[in-house]
Amino acid sequence: MHVYIYDDYLNKSKFNKAINRMEIRLTDLGLNGKIIRLGGIKNIKGAIQNEIRLGAQTVIAVGNNQTVNKIIGAIIDSEIYPDFQKKTLLGIIPIGDDNSIAASLGIKSVDEACNILLARRIEKIDLGLADKHYFLNQATIQSSGTILEINGCTLEMTERGEVKIINLLSDLKETIKSNPHDGKLEILIRTKNRDESYLTSSGFKLSNPEEKLLIDGIATVNTPVELGVMKDKVSVIVGRDRLFE
Amino acid sequence: MFSKENRLEKFKDAETIIGASIKVKGNFQGQGDIIIEGSLEGSLKTEANIFIGDRAKVVASVESKDVVINGEVRGNIKAKNYLSIGGTAKIYGDVQYAEISIEKGATINGQLLMISDDGKKHEKNKFENREEEPAK
Repeated sequence: MHVYIYDDYLNKSKFNKAINRMEIRLTDLGLNGKIIRLGGIKNIKGAIQNEIRLGAQTVIAVGNNQTVNKIIGAIIDSEIYPDFQKKTLLGIIPIGDDNSIAASLGIKSVDEACNILLARRIEKIDLGLADKHYFLNQATIQSSGTILEINGCTLEMTERGEVKIINLLSDLKETIKSNPHDGKLEILIRTKNRDESYLTSSGFKLSNPEEKLLIDGIATVNTPVELGVMKDKVSVIVGRDRLFE
Repeated sequence: MFSKENRLEKFKDAETIIGASIKVKGNFQGQGDIIIEGSLEGSLKTEANIFIGDRAKVVASVESKDVVINGEVRGNIKAKNYLSIGGTAKIYGDVQYAEISIEKGATINGQLLMISDDGKKHEKNKFENREEEPAK
């Protein structure tokens, strides 16, 4: 059984055309399923967990990065997670902006997403963890004043720029390699002076007294914060053009 | 083996790059190639190769298979395989290697010890704050 989770922002009329087109395409492909509209639900976690309990084989996030994170947040730390891991796949149909997670998985448009759901190419991927917050793509923070503590070493940054902690690469132009199956996070530091540093770690502490860590572009976390990886935590349906092997 | 052309090229898939703006303190260990362009205090060790750039300042013992040094190192260096010392290198410490090349302009203040096939160290030369002659 397919369960489509529509994010609340899709209630806006400007998305009607995309939604109608998607629903027609899904019907044509025989992928109809139950629709849950988050706009009218107060207990989002409960609603998603209930669908998994009822035997959902595929939960499809219809929306953007935030929609995916809502679903993951509802499942990962819950008692339903063992069932989800055994029986349920996560799919994504990207509509609107902020869809870097879908892009990383090789899903660039609604039509393509529908075909990818039909093909059911499955990959288990890691989840990044910042204290109790999960992220699929990346976490970012201003580099100046940031200190990393990795395996007994401290790395101090003094120049302005950005620290990216990457689980799943989302930028097609990025030249670094990132593997969401390897149980490691890639740490990329780029300063305004075009100085670049790169390392990998499975767990480290990050602190910056002036700045907060931004997770998947939507949530902020205070520092100091422990970062880590939960290996092969989610089974997702991916496209052929995904940004990892 | 490094040549002038491929010194950094060999490290294009480096596991770790410490840029010029980063200060590292502690015992830094890796399994893949490491490039250091910034500063490091403590120790530096990998099972693969180490490249120390010309702007780098390393106050640490350094140990790996191949080592390329173009910056400043204050500490002992052990290259289990090959050590390349560039013309901009400044080394204050003892150096162990199986094979070595030294470019004109390099400063070495310490002992050079060759590691032979049987694992024994043979003292080759002792330099005290002098500039190395060009390799022949």
